[in-house]
Amino acid sequence: MEEEEEQQKHEQASACDSNGTPIHVLAVDDCFVDRKIVGKLLEKASFKVTSADSGKKALEILGFSQDKVEKSSYNDQKIDIILTDYCMPEMNGYDLLMAVKGNSNVKSIPVVIISSEYDPQRISRCLANGAEDFLRKPLQHKDLQKLRSYVKPSAPVPKTGTKRKVMLELIPESGTAETRPRIAGVAVA
Amino acid sequence: MDGVIQLQRQLVDYTASLFHEGFLDEQFNQLQQLQDENNPDFVVEVVSLFFEDSERLLNELAKALEQQCVDFKRIDAHVHQLKGSSSSIGAQRVQKACIAFRNYCDEQNTEGCLKCLQQVKHEYSLVKTKLETLFKLQRRVLAAGGSIPKPI
Repeated sequence: MEEEEEQQKHEQASACDSNGTPIHVLAVDDCFVDRKIVGKLLEKASFKVTSADSGKKALEILGFSQDKVEKSSYNDQKIDIILTDYCMPEMNGYDLLMAVKGNSNVKSIPVVIISSEYDPQRISRCLANGAEDFLRKPLQHKDLQKLRSYVKPSAPVPKTGTKRKVMLELIPESGTAETRPRIAGVAVA
Repeated sequence: MDGVIQLQRQLVDYTASLFHEGFLDEQFNQLQQLQDENNPDFVVEVVSLFFEDSERLLNELAKALEQQCVDFKRIDAHVHQLKGSSSSIGAQRVQKACIAFRNYCDEQNTEGCLKCLQQVKHEYSLVKTKLETLFKLQRRVLAAGGSIPKPI
């Protein structure tokens, strides 16, 4: 219990960039229950959260304007990282990823995909197209440290491996009938 | 004071039974960990959202299965949503019932889907009653001047 509290305190203190400004997460999910839970999880860990209920709304927040007359200002809300559900109607997490990575104004914003389903093809497609990570729902407190690490500017090369290494560790959860492997590690195309 | 301790005991035992019987899983604990002085009703709020959302989805599913031409893709999408939200609040038995339901959707088996819908409705109704009882017990503990023990 003490160890967990220590870790939580550390993470609360660390959900800030090098200037001490809270990391701003754009959390995208069509499910109201999940938006509320993820929002609270992030806020408790001292992230700043903006929620969107669709990919379309997320793009609006990022400054993609349908108004062709006025030039939209991209990312004026200063989003540091996008955390998006994969399964959403109309525009899914992959579509959102492609839209973000296809626009030079916002493509540097890291995108992390979350999903309740384990689909290896889906995962590799997202990672191959620029997603930083693919996390399993429901999001846990320990996943949050990863988010912070993806926001770090010009991070030094990690001791555990090079950026080119693809690491997918499947860790089946104990105590559940359905095998729900957790994906740990970073993969970059 | 004895009254409070007895109520707290009742609450702890009841909560433990819900986990033991598989109605709730670890994710419910995670939810409780998110509740604090700034958001003292967080769990009740999220669970209420889950109830509203589930009832809407169950109605949609019933309607969809009554159609002449059953749209299994649409049904699967609804069940997927219900599976997701039940997993997010730790309603394990509802989640498992949804998994079985999706298998019948894949097979495009209307009869199987109808049976599963009944099963999901049944599990949902059970967990709803259990959670409402849990929240009632929590309110009694608080009203008696006690505090709700945090999960380990």
